[in-house]
Amino acid sequence: MAAPAPWWRIGWRNLGRNRKRTFITALGLGAGYFAVVFMVGWADGLKAEMVENGTGILTGQLQVHAADYRPERSLYDTIGDRDGADVSALLSAVVSDPAIEAAAPRVYAGGLVSSGDATSAGMIMGVDIALEPRVSRILTGIEEGQVPRPGRNEIVIGHEMARQLEIAMGDEVVLVVPAADGSMGNDLFRVAGIYRSGMTELDNAYALIPIDTLQTLLALEPGRIHEVAAATTDPWLAPEAARRIAQAVAPMGLELEVVPWTVLRPDMLDYTRLVESWYFIVIGVVFAIAIFGVANTMLMATFERRRELAVMLALGTTPVQVVLTVLYEALALGILSLVVGATVTFPVMFWWHNAPPDLSFMYGDFTMFGALMRPTLRVEYNFPVAVWSAVALLFTAFVAALYPAAHAARVPPADTLSGI
Amino acid sequence: MKGKRITFAVGVATGVVWVSLLAYGQETPHDIVDKVDRILRGASSHGTATMEVVTEHWNRSITMEVWSLGTEYSLVRVTQPAKEAGTATLKAEKDIWNYLPKVDRTIKVPASMMSGAWMGSHFTNDDLVKESRLVEDFDIETSFEGERDGAEVWEFTLIPKPEAAVVWGSIEYRVRKGDYMPLWARYYDEDHVLARTMEFSEFRVMGGRKVPAVMHMQPADKPGERTTMLYDDLEFDIDLEQSFFSLQTLKRRR
Repeated sequence: MAAPAPWWRIGWRNLGRNRKRTFITALGLGAGYFAVVFMVGWADGLKAEMVENGTGILTGQLQVHAADYRPERSLYDTIGDRDGADVSALLSAVVSDPAIEAAAPRVYAGGLVSSGDATSAGMIMGVDIALEPRVSRILTGIEEGQVPRPGRNEIVIGHEMARQLEIAMGDEVVLVVPAADGSMGNDLFRVAGIYRSGMTELDNAYALIPIDTLQTLLALEPGRIHEVAAATTDPWLAPEAARRIAQAVAPMGLELEVVPWTVLRPDMLDYTRLVESWYFIVIGVVFAIAIFGVANTMLMATFERRRELAVMLALGTTPVQVVLTVLYEALALGILSLVVGATVTFPVMFWWHNAPPDLSFMYGDFTMFGALMRPTLRVEYNFPVAVWSAVALLFTAFVAALYPAAHAARVPPADTLSGI
Repeated sequence: MKGKRITFAVGVATGVVWVSLLAYGQETPHDIVDKVDRILRGASSHGTATMEVVTEHWNRSITMEVWSLGTEYSLVRVTQPAKEAGTATLKAEKDIWNYLPKVDRTIKVPASMMSGAWMGSHFTNDDLVKESRLVEDFDIETSFEGERDGAEVWEFTLIPKPEAAVVWGSIEYRVRKGDYMPLWARYYDEDHVLARTMEFSEFRVMGGRKVPAVMHMQPADKPGERTTMLYDDLEFDIDLEQSFFSLQTLKRRR
């Protein structure tokens, strides 16, 4: 066989003939690559922000209840029904799953929080002061004061409830809850902490006290809890972990349901699916625009070289070989663009992933599907999309060169060389 | 000839009865319901009652002392069981306060909790406020008049006035004609599904008036549950001042 065909080399060298144009085209394609990777990364960032905050502020990524607890969430439907359950055994069964980071028991009661003349309807939540911060951020969001100390009738309330009731740290509130024995559980509490979750529906309604204090108020035995909430190492592991935990706790004979956030919050799951379906639309739109840019450049390049192409054809180069030089040139341009694009994209993504720029000058905190969204440009890595965009970029360059290549192959040598 | 005269006399008599009925019978459904209300309440009242609450999860019985003045003021104080003795509810105009002896505090029930259960019963806080305002909040029509179960009765349909803040879609109310005693009231939600039934029974003379001594509340969606209010004794038109219905009285322990 002869030496390798020179068409590759010709294509590559042609790129160097008008470096400015080549560079600008490569920059255009590189910017397209950046746009796709960044936009998908940002959408992923919004998705992650929503899921992490939607589940992390209070819900947890996974919950265990009595099978009939949801959706009514009745005071009486405790885990294990009237007999209650061995809470520590249940907690360790949940935590022993590899995807679970931590788990915490909870008791809920709808009731009144009152101070002076002001009274507000609230959701009183009994939490394990030590375990809860490992599952949710509600107690770590205390902006004033501290967590309630056990046995001292201390309470943590949201800043919005504090505002409505006109109470401050150290003030006294009365809690009134309908108890499980039909009586009205009531007691005095001192405000030990005021939290700010950023979500109004929590900040104006949820008050937290130690779980055993609430159980006493509700006339519930210590083994009776409504929920075990758990944090997973990654939110997307929750559905699988829920299945495993359901099997693991089945022998306890408690008639439980183990639900991941994807079941508790189907709206959030639907939104993430919607976002994912956008990705390919974004890739399609960006590269569809790029196709015309590349085609234009290549068409110009081949028009410029009509005489040269005519000489090549006159010297015996076949039209197929001419097509190859043009396609190789486009492919080389694509690879160059990819190098330019990747050089810009990955450092920026790395930077914004680790230090998201503050966008609060454009918009403030907002909530979406009951999840707090911070005003930052948070981006997440999405390697499959980065690879697919690279493939799409090369494919774009290739497709865009087809017409100019065909055009080049049909240059009539004699007419062109004779100056027509 | 004689036969004809008798026919004529009967005819005249019937006519007279009809005319007098028309003249006298200007008692509208609204008037009747109002009258029933007044009989049951008097200008003022005082009595003791026992409330039995049966739910799926617990049963309890609470004894209480009750005062009322007109439609706007009432005070209820629990006397038994000992654990809750002193717990009291004051209704003054449209507001309700609860007094909690354990913490020695009064709490005004917020608007958002007016539909909540009162003392764990199947009555709501709203019932205490609105119960006496049927004639104000509802348009009342007679849906039946005649004999039912051996007694002459009226049946009324109460439809909330457009501007009334009422949770019910409609109420049906049966009243016995002879003595203006209420027999039952059926409460329908806004989808016209029966939500609960209140039955009155044990009509007895207490405090010089014939009143139903037992009120039985049955929620439609929980057939196993009920609240029964039994009046042990009642006195009417007693000497009670408006000033009695104050937060000070509410807090006074027995």
